[in-house]
Amino acid sequence: MRKPIHITTPRSTLEEIEKRFPVSKASEKAIKALVDEFKAQLSHREEEPVNSIEPEKRRKRASAA
Amino acid sequence: MPPLPDPKGVFLNVPYDEEFSSLYVAYIVGLCQLDLVPHLASEISGGGRRLDRIIQLIQSCRYSIHDLSRVETSVAPAAVPRFNMPLELGMTITWANLHPSRHDWFVWESESYRIQRSASDLNGTDAYIHNGTPEGVLRELSNAFWRDPMPSVPQMITVYGLVNSALNSIFVRTGTRNPYDRSVFMELCRLSSSLTTFFFPSTKSAV
Repeated sequence: MRKPIHITTPRSTLEEIEKRFPVSKASEKAIKALVDEFKAQLSHREEEPVNSIEPEKRRKRASAA
Repeated sequence: MPPLPDPKGVFLNVPYDEEFSSLYVAYIVGLCQLDLVPHLASEISGGGRRLDRIIQLIQSCRYSIHDLSRVETSVAPAAVPRFNMPLELGMTITWANLHPSRHDWFVWESESYRIQRSASDLNGTDAYIHNGTPEGVLRELSNAFWRDPMPSVPQMITVYGLVNSALNSIFVRTGTRNPYDRSVFMELCRLSSSLTTFFFPSTKSAV
């Protein structure tokens, strides 16, 4: 296996993303609303277990195999 | 000589098809969580030949990921091999060989040893095997890049689940059902990055 690349750049990706990928005001507002919604959801429950992601797809894959 | 590449820029050379969309979202989420900035050919607007713009994008990124897992013949009416991904990988290898300090490229595949059958010239290249799953993509991104500290794979999967669940509302807002459209790509990057900052606030402060 190839040696992993150590990322040493400063951590400011959100600012860079915002600068490089400017979205409309409406989209920006909607993204913020989504993030707030997720925050609210997550504040009331523990982190989801790994296996909870896309259970339907997992089942389909398993049955296909 | 083009300007120095963005040290966080990662050019994503992936198939633009519906079946691949969950892996595509995983690439975006994973890269944002690793404090890298994903780039896609469709983000480039303006005139000029598409190929020239792709070359410029490759040159402007420090890294590139080439997912060859769907290099296969298309379905009817006329089955033809999908050459875009290998073509862009070839251009990247040439650029990286000419300027090794400016670019590192990675090959991603769904199955071990498939690459030896589809492109035997790449023998000796360690491909990252994602097994065709978003979890696999996130796991292999963690293997390819690391920083200290970095989110765990289960944490990355949680953020992936949230972003993926928001895809439909992004489609509604952007008026498209194509996840590879420029507007959707930009929103996915913004959302992934915003959530990363929320989940891992330490990643916000400069090292």
